[in-house]
Amino acid sequence: MLEVSGLAAGYLGERVIEGIDVEVRTGEAVAIIGSNGAGKTTLFRAIAGLLQPMEGRVVLDEKDLTRRPAHRISRAGIAYVPAERHLFPAMTLKSNLVLGAYPRRPDRETLELVYDLFPRLHERQRQQAGTLSGGEQQMLAVGRALMARPRLLMLDEPTTGLAPKIAQIAFEALEGLKKEGMTLLIAEQQVPLALSVAERGYVLENGRIRLSGTSAELDQNPEVRRAYLGVA
Amino acid sequence: MKAVVLDGIVLGLAFGLLGVGMTLVYGLGGVLNLAYGQIVILGAIVVMVVMEDGVATFLAAVLGVLAAAGVAVLLDLTLMRPVYRQHGEERTLLGLLLTLGAAFVIGGLLTWRYPAGALYINVSGEPVSIIGVPMAVGSLWASVIALAVAAVLLLFFGLTTFGRGVRSIIQDETGARLVGINPAFVRTVIFALSGALAGIVAITQSMSGPLTVNAGFELTTFALIVTVVGGLGSVAGAFLAGVLLGVVNSLSAHYIGQYITTIILLGAAALTILIRPRGLLGR
Amino acid sequence: MRTTRTIGRALLPIAVTAAILAILPSVWFGDSPYTTSLAVQALVFAAYGVGFNLIFGSTNQLFLCVGALAGVGGYGAVILIDETSLPMAAGVVVGTAGAALVGGLLSWIAVRRSLGIIFTGIVTLVFSLAFANLLLGQRELTGAETGLVVTAAADRLGDDDVGGYYLFAGLLVAFLIVFRALQLSHVGWAFRALRDDEVAAELAGVDVARYRIYAATIGSAMIGLTGALLAYSAGFISPATYSFDRVDVRVLVLVAFGGLGTLLGPVIGAGVFAILDEQLSTSLELREVLYGVFVIAIFLFFRHGVVSAVVSLYDRLSRRRQKPALQPSGD
Repeated sequence: MLEVSGLAAGYLGERVIEGIDVEVRTGEAVAIIGSNGAGKTTLFRAIAGLLQPMEGRVVLDEKDLTRRPAHRISRAGIAYVPAERHLFPAMTLKSNLVLGAYPRRPDRETLELVYDLFPRLHERQRQQAGTLSGGEQQMLAVGRALMARPRLLMLDEPTTGLAPKIAQIAFEALEGLKKEGMTLLIAEQQVPLALSVAERGYVLENGRIRLSGTSAELDQNPEVRRAYLGVA
Repeated sequence: MKAVVLDGIVLGLAFGLLGVGMTLVYGLGGVLNLAYGQIVILGAIVVMVVMEDGVATFLAAVLGVLAAAGVAVLLDLTLMRPVYRQHGEERTLLGLLLTLGAAFVIGGLLTWRYPAGALYINVSGEPVSIIGVPMAVGSLWASVIALAVAAVLLLFFGLTTFGRGVRSIIQDETGARLVGINPAFVRTVIFALSGALAGIVAITQSMSGPLTVNAGFELTTFALIVTVVGGLGSVAGAFLAGVLLGVVNSLSAHYIGQYITTIILLGAAALTILIRPRGLLGR
Repeated sequence: MRTTRTIGRALLPIAVTAAILAILPSVWFGDSPYTTSLAVQALVFAAYGVGFNLIFGSTNQLFLCVGALAGVGGYGAVILIDETSLPMAAGVVVGTAGAALVGGLLSWIAVRRSLGIIFTGIVTLVFSLAFANLLLGQRELTGAETGLVVTAAADRLGDDDVGGYYLFAGLLVAFLIVFRALQLSHVGWAFRALRDDEVAAELAGVDVARYRIYAATIGSAMIGLTGALLAYSAGFISPATYSFDRVDVRVLVLVAFGGLGTLLGPVIGAGVFAILDEQLSTSLELREVLYGVFVIAIFLFFRHGVVSAVVSLYDRLSRRRQKPALQPSGD
């Protein structure tokens, strides 16, 4: 479904990532692993349109999305949940979800789905998003992304700032989504969690793909353990 | 005393209407449109010229509003493009400077072409008595229009999808882009809306008294004060601040003096910046 | 280590400017009071510009109250003399001190409340307008719109006399020397640091707050002094002399034109705009339009000043050895 080829991107003329080839097939869950500064966020921002790629292509189901602005890529079916979440703090939880479906009006079914997945959101739907806890905000961010019925859901470090138990719940929710047929692309520092949900993974190091393979392969790989610990 | 307060409310609604256009653009894009007062005057001049050619008042008013909206869109599509490419303080500073330049261009051209230009829409009718105070019909109409505009705007931003989209951009622009909102398009629409509001201000102001061609800077100043006190991007804030300042203005002008009154209003803006920068209802 | 050669080189631009200014009357004025008054006006605005350059150009404080500060100097001096019959010099001193105090206070407030550029601009604009209203409101003291006749005005230093010309020329040169001295001292280094990156400067140990207030006070003193001397030279002042439209916009445009933060920027800008004004003496409104166009053009295309752009164009055209484009503030 998603094909990234030869992608290079960065800031102020400096390349942070280079020569990136990533593929995500429909219904798959793929993980991008790497330590801080490896370039995971830059890669995701480039795919999502928040950052203009310097080289390479991003293709979703035959449609070339390279260099399209973020709102167009969102409407094309890629929903991106960034690490900072970027929720609308002064709006109610429900309003945040409703806006997720922009420009369409939200349909009941999808809203029910999100509430089923995250019952806590249903409880607090009238609460202002800015007053939610870290875990609830993360759930809201994912829920908002789902409201657009995306083809591909990208999550950047979904467990940041979450207590281990909450992180566990979050990944269980992602498992649930995958079972429903959602295609996932997840960037994570916490390798075991990521590999537990994903079928395949790519290891990103210093802006380049160092390794790729099935989760099982990566899990056994000693170099992966090195990347996980971030030791040079 | 009742009369003074009522006058203040009428004035305040006019202030609010004046401030709303500027606060929307400032809250949404971070741009302080210092050419706002001149756009109001442009609307007024268009109405004046068209009415001199014999066009009916209502149609002339519509044309004036459209002209003002049109100029606003033109401004957005030309000068504002490089401004939006900047971010944060750089953007506000560049926006402020470029619109200041635009203010001089528009104002200068208008005063050059129509040195004695003034718009006065005479609304005929006997003064109406509100809680025992006789109020001029023109001023009352102006207030009614202002209230109607306020209601429409609040409904629009509170209930419609587009309106919610606008609010979302103000709160988190990146988040808005991620849910599929195009900030550039929304900003142009809002700029056009602020222009239309400027046109409406031209109409309502000229119902209460003649609006002259060199009133531009003064209008911009009051719009700025209301925007600052009311809070960025808040429609309700602009009207609330407007009415408060209007009443203060009226009381002060009646009991103290004209020049001190202006100083007091200016002081209110400065005080807001120093003590509560986000204004009454801003975030 | 400052050798005489270094000092000499540092002062060279000022010396050249002073020389040009000195011979200008004999070369160009031809005894015409009109031309002289134009030149004096240009000098006054150049002087305002140096002060503004110190405040905005060097420390990024958008003070939209140049006219008001000059007015504090001017009205302060004149009212003091009128009320107390002290000599003219006392009036000038008090006026200047008043302006310095006000400017320093505004800067202190901006610093204490961490006001960014925009809010500083709005607060100073509010001060400008409030001051204008104050002048209009206090009739007995200030004469409101009708203005004040300066009874103690000096005779041969009138603003259309050669004497007045030399007075302001001397003032401008003095200001330039002060500006240059600051530029080349540790103060100038601190200014450049905080303009480049405020946070980095703080971390490097620069007390940003102190230097801002410092710059604002000196700059305001310059502006106030010019305003006070203008009162004595012109013999008559009114709120229009120091209004926002007349003073602030013009100063902003001409300093930006010449190059914000540069030594001679205000001088060049004032000169160019004096010539422009002369050519367009026809319509006041069209002049306003032109100013607007200039503001837009300068801040869109010539962020570092038209002069600097012209110089770098020249550099590129003559294809000389790789030389960095004219650096602002003479690094």
